[in-house]
Amino acid sequence: MIKVNNLKKKFIRYKNKKEKEEFYADNGISFEANEGEIIGILGPNGAGKTTLLRMIAGILEPTEGEVLFDGLTYKKNEIEIKQNIAYLSGNTKLYDTLSCYELLKMCADIYGVEEKKAEERIKEISKILNMDSFLYNKIGNLSTGQTQRVNIARCLVHNPKYYILDEATTGLDIISSQIILDFMKEEKKNNKTILYSTHYMEEAENICDRVIMINKGIIIKQGTPKEIREETKTTNLRDAFFTMIGGALDE
Amino acid sequence: MSNNNLFNILKKELRELFRDRKSLAMMLVIPIFIPLLIIGMSALFESQVSKDVKEYNKIGFSYELTEEEEELAKNMNIDVVTGNEEELKQKYDNGEIYLYVTKEDNKYILNTGTNDNDTYAQNLVQSYFEAYKQYLQTNYLATNNINPDEVLNIITVEENIFEEDNYFANYIKNYAFLFIIMAITVSATYPATDTTAGEKERGTLETLLTFPIKSKDIIVGKFLGVSISSIITGLISLVLAVISLVITKDMFSIYEGIDIMFSPISLVFSVVVIIAYSFFISGLCIAIASTSKTFKEAQSALTPLTFISFFPGMIAFMVGVEASPILSIIPFINFTVIFTDISNGNINILNIALMIISTIVYITIVLKVIINQYKSEKVLFSR
Repeated sequence: MIKVNNLKKKFIRYKNKKEKEEFYADNGISFEANEGEIIGILGPNGAGKTTLLRMIAGILEPTEGEVLFDGLTYKKNEIEIKQNIAYLSGNTKLYDTLSCYELLKMCADIYGVEEKKAEERIKEISKILNMDSFLYNKIGNLSTGQTQRVNIARCLVHNPKYYILDEATTGLDIISSQIILDFMKEEKKNNKTILYSTHYMEEAENICDRVIMINKGIIIKQGTPKEIREETKTTNLRDAFFTMIGGALDE
Repeated sequence: MSNNNLFNILKKELRELFRDRKSLAMMLVIPIFIPLLIIGMSALFESQVSKDVKEYNKIGFSYELTEEEEELAKNMNIDVVTGNEEELKQKYDNGEIYLYVTKEDNKYILNTGTNDNDTYAQNLVQSYFEAYKQYLQTNYLATNNINPDEVLNIITVEENIFEEDNYFANYIKNYAFLFIIMAITVSATYPATDTTAGEKERGTLETLLTFPIKSKDIIVGKFLGVSISSIITGLISLVLAVISLVITKDMFSIYEGIDIMFSPISLVFSVVVIIAYSFFISGLCIAIASTSKTFKEAQSALTPLTFISFFPGMIAFMVGVEASPILSIIPFINFTVIFTDISNGNINILNIALMIISTIVYITIVLKVIINQYKSEKVLFSR
């Protein structure tokens, strides 16, 4: 289980050339994510989704608060936690000069997967994601869809307990984004915990067990899509979001 | 686990490095300039030393030469051109002669300029007048029944030039090493930029940071990758320098009878200096490049380093600074000054040890700075 406790992240930004001000990208975010759950983190650009997921993935250090993975914290168990996480974002790029196999093997080595198991796992993942035809090709020569499949394979190779997906479908074509959505559904069946941020509300509505709506660094609503629709008396999450923020988006 | 991950990162860095054409070019092509430098400089010296006398031996005289003077001029390969002062000035201006001599009683005036051929002509005519003066003195003494040898050769001076002090050999060896230092610096800048700012720009850094690896292992892995690339450049450069010296020794007469080669012990210590410098410059390049947001920004930030690596050593070499314990701990200068000592056959273990120890201290500080940089969000995520 992932437990996020009062997570805050303060940044400094420039108001003009001379003046600067502090602001909170995330300001007191708390929630829990259980095994076998897909949690959608929803909000517009600049809402604080990426910062939140980066803190949960251990890439950014929170200004306040903590994240617990089955009771373990980054302060004491960083390596242990990261061994059970797979992080994939829309910005995640891979090493162009490596072949898909070399990348997967490198990831397996880094995550401490035994040599024999790693080979088996790579073969298995390659089959599931239909990568056999380009497994030994250099990543730099692959199409966007193929690269995204390698990215997913990279996340699967060490069989993690937690997936943190930050706008992983943004900018992808319909086939490539479907690959990611199918992969999430499959891993849910395997009892994995998935945190998934997006600004595509319809996509989240279809796949998430629960959603957390964020605006300006704070949670404005959380619950199942059905609960949120009922509470806001709307028919979809998009309308629900606009109802909650009063129809105005301040970036 | 930690050692394994350090090895995994190093393996990834080396794979990327050896598959990237630009990195490979930097690593392997730059050393090719070493033979060009050595052969080019040797050819330049050769042309200076063995300049054909016919290129500057046309000398004007504004007075009639005696038979003795004519004989002496002929023996010294002087091509005598006579005429009055005005005519000779005209010929000098037209480049037909390189110097003309005018005479006022017993005073001879050499009229010439400062360009290359003029200077050679000046030296030739000065030698001519020295010989003529000696001829007149000898004649005078003989006429007065004095043995000229007793007066003119009252003392004798002999020159005994040691092989190691050969100006050309030392000059070329020292400049070759300065160029090796520069080649290592240039070779380190590209992979250092690529592995830090490049990784940030390409968006692969985020992936790396999610791995269960400590920042220390990531940095040390990157540092070792860049260092290995620099060491390869340094060693190839040294090998090419040695091969070039062997070739130039037989090609140019200025090295006749001179041992211009590095001794085996000098070569071993040269390798030590190259390795120490490669580690030092790699750390420094990574530290500077990792604060940059883009590849271009990193390259601009690293450009001055190429000059900084070259000039202190060059100035020390030109001024004739010798290695000392203090200089051995001053970065940049220490490597070139100690190498000059080594190439001259002066191997001072204390200075070399101080250079190695100070380099280890500097590298440790630099790596700590980089590890801290890799914890800073400003450095990692600013765009």
